[in-house]
Amino acid sequence: MKFFEKLMSIDRRVIFLFVGVALIVPLFLDIEQTIEITPEVQTLYDAFMELPPGSKVLMAFDYDPPSAPELQPQAITGLRLCFDRNLKVIIIGLWPMGPMQANLALETVFSEENYFDKEPIYGVDYVNLGYSPGNELVIQRMGSSIPATFPRDFRGTSIEEIPLMRGIVNFSNFDYVFNLSAGYPGTVEWVQFAVDRFHARMGAANTAVQAPLVYPYIGTGQLTGLSGGMKGAAEFEKLTGFIGKGTKFMLSQSFAHMIVVFFIIIGNLAYFVTRGREEKKTG
Amino acid sequence: MDSVFSHTIAAILTIGIISFLYKDNPLYKFCESLFIGVSAGYWFVQQYYANLLPKLFDNLGITKLVGAENAPEGALQALFLEGRLDDNLLYLIAGVLGVMMLLRLSPKIGWIARWPLAFTVGSSAGLYFITYFQSNAMSQLEHTILPLNSFNNLVLIVGTVTGIIYFYFSKEHKGVFGGAAKVGIYFLMITFGASFGYTVMSRMSLLIGRIDFLFGTWLGLVK
Amino acid sequence: MKAFSYSFTFYCLLGLILLATTDGLAQVESSDSLLSPLLPPSEVIAEDHPGDAGAAIIVRWKLSPDEDRGVTGYEIVRSTSPTGEFSSIGFAAAGSNRYVDANTEDSLTYYYKVLAIDVDKNVSESELSPPARSSPQWFNFHLLNLLIIGGLICGAVIYFIAHAKKGKKLFLRKIAGLEAVDEAIGRATEMGRPILFIPGILDMDDVQTIAAITILGRVAKTIAQYDTKLNVPTSRSIVMSTAMETVKEAYISAGRADAYSDDFVHYVTDEQFGYVAAVNGIMVRERPATCFYIGAFFAESLIMAETGNAIGAIQIAGTAMPAQLPFFVAACDYTLIGEELFAASAYLSGEPKQLGSLKGQDVGKIIAMSAIVIGALLETFFAISGSSFFGSLAELVHKLFSIVAS
Repeated sequence: MKFFEKLMSIDRRVIFLFVGVALIVPLFLDIEQTIEITPEVQTLYDAFMELPPGSKVLMAFDYDPPSAPELQPQAITGLRLCFDRNLKVIIIGLWPMGPMQANLALETVFSEENYFDKEPIYGVDYVNLGYSPGNELVIQRMGSSIPATFPRDFRGTSIEEIPLMRGIVNFSNFDYVFNLSAGYPGTVEWVQFAVDRFHARMGAANTAVQAPLVYPYIGTGQLTGLSGGMKGAAEFEKLTGFIGKGTKFMLSQSFAHMIVVFFIIIGNLAYFVTRGREEKKTG
Repeated sequence: MDSVFSHTIAAILTIGIISFLYKDNPLYKFCESLFIGVSAGYWFVQQYYANLLPKLFDNLGITKLVGAENAPEGALQALFLEGRLDDNLLYLIAGVLGVMMLLRLSPKIGWIARWPLAFTVGSSAGLYFITYFQSNAMSQLEHTILPLNSFNNLVLIVGTVTGIIYFYFSKEHKGVFGGAAKVGIYFLMITFGASFGYTVMSRMSLLIGRIDFLFGTWLGLVK
Repeated sequence: MKAFSYSFTFYCLLGLILLATTDGLAQVESSDSLLSPLLPPSEVIAEDHPGDAGAAIIVRWKLSPDEDRGVTGYEIVRSTSPTGEFSSIGFAAAGSNRYVDANTEDSLTYYYKVLAIDVDKNVSESELSPPARSSPQWFNFHLLNLLIIGGLICGAVIYFIAHAKKGKKLFLRKIAGLEAVDEAIGRATEMGRPILFIPGILDMDDVQTIAAITILGRVAKTIAQYDTKLNVPTSRSIVMSTAMETVKEAYISAGRADAYSDDFVHYVTDEQFGYVAAVNGIMVRERPATCFYIGAFFAESLIMAETGNAIGAIQIAGTAMPAQLPFFVAACDYTLIGEELFAASAYLSGEPKQLGSLKGQDVGKIIAMSAIVIGALLETFFAISGSSFFGSLAELVHKLFSIVAS
């Protein structure tokens, strides 16, 4: 019984240490982990695959470096998938650092051997329109005029001079919207404005914290698919066949989850045992 | 060489922040102060270059007026040089509201700042009422009207109705109503548990990201 | 044995003939598909997009009969004259039969054609659409149900506010977390340690921040009476000045204007994690006896509540952010869950507007519960009996809440 009492007063740093080891060690291991595909990620992938070549995909990067470990692998996979299927990509960000994350993701994609020869052309195959302040009001304004909302791209070029932007007026000119979101403004706002108000077709990749918030939008059809957190990233990578950091990090993630589950079980056990003894004493 | 230097600084700062897990220490305090200072400065610069300069000064033509090279012509030039009312002239209203907001700094006329605040709160309330009502109430409600012919549908309907009962404030939680509210709170707690699980995953991912940076990008031990 | 070998030869020959024939048939079919031209989409209709501010025309068509034979999509072209030059305005994926041209001028008449395109880049052009012109409308009838139900709830809110303003009492059930507020402040006083109040990280345009400031007013008033130190770090400048005013008013109304200091409320940074780092530092160094986390929170919720827990503070939280509630529930002593936050704010302030709004929303909840229960029963009866009577009634309930894409 003393064991449980000691366990109840265990130094939290011991738990941190266990979790740290569980996260670090798998990075050095070469174990292939089975990744089951969930229906939400499958429908997200299917939505991309249904788009005919030449379709225009709006990718909204609504996250910053702190959320990059979860969302960057999904951004890279999304971009690869678009370029491989010859889909045109228009990038924007409602978060100031979003478009910079997009540039980093593009750098990663183009640095791969496959892309040395056939690197997509800026302004023709993809464009980064940058960040616009105003949160969800930006989406609202895009519904009436994208050129007025983003008069210049990330590099300061007028969008009238960008071939890809010719004829793009509002959401009706996009075949699909893919939102990468870490919070506000993010997927919730995109659903409320772009989907429900302007009838855009949309899928999303979210941090795991955000995922439960946007799940209800899948059942209603407001979202065509959802990839949540690192697990979603690994699934998305498996479906597309581009194995990246999402898959690589899943092993660490699984080990850490096992440690957490172990501590939850043992902690609850200790709690109930020690509480029972206290009740007996006072009773 | 540049990247080695910047990666080393980033690594020291990461270790400094993580060291808080052991206990509060001078390195953490230094990193914390640096982070707050840099982020506050970054936000100021960000707001200027993303908001004030392109949206207000450029659109109105103030940048051009003060003689900046390559600055675009704005609404003021259109008005005074061409005698034309440009749509961007509307930014003048936003600019005036912004200045009114700054009057808060003066104790005597600080009350003027309440007007732009009222404008912001009022317009946001109107906008959100429709969007939330449409996306989060009406659409969700329509898709909860399902036949009670499967376990999933039953859970969905009972969970939704009892959840709403828990948040009904006009009746004391007693008797059958109280029982239903209790079922509602159980559903909420199960939902919280699922959500907690997702967040554990999220937090671990962030930590993995930093560990990958330390052992991979910085030390080059992980490929 | 002989009989077997004859029949074997027969079947082999038959097999070969069949193979040759089917191969031949396949060849005929494939050459047929190559020869027959791609059939175009038909019945192209263009009309004003309803319920909008103009500048949009909706184009509809009947899919190409060759949709299953490699049609990759439809290109939409338009002209302002039936004999003029047509230019491409957009592309619709295979299987879709509508396109919204949202770049029209209301004063012009437009003509449309839809081109089916297949995998081999064959193009087949439809007949010309009838002329169409866009125009603005004052009212969007697709959102009529939104107006009716929204109007009902707003009406109820206005009614209850008026009711409360007349001084009539509106019943609100007790909220457990509220009773803990005074107890927590008392404990901090006994221990001679400060009280930390975090009003969330969103700005004053978020209703949760408004509720947080109301609760802060009440908390500050009690603190003023007890003469305990208050610390309110904010992540938004407007929240800082509003909180400052609120705390000052609370101290004045408690008759302790002399004890008020502008240092109680201070701005830290807008940056989410920078703010968290600062709050964590304050917690560890000042060791507040009580921490309030009331308002809108994101990822910082767990970090703050966990640190508060580690320093042994009594923690009271309240938020309507569903993703953050689990951490507050797990790490805090009391949590105002979701709308309880607004109820607490109404309860504490006793303001007619807040009380009336809460009661009005209860009317909305009754509408929602009734619709779900009635709708689900009708759907169930329909599923069991197959009766069209129940089916059409259930559809009616659905329609009441559905938002139709025009």
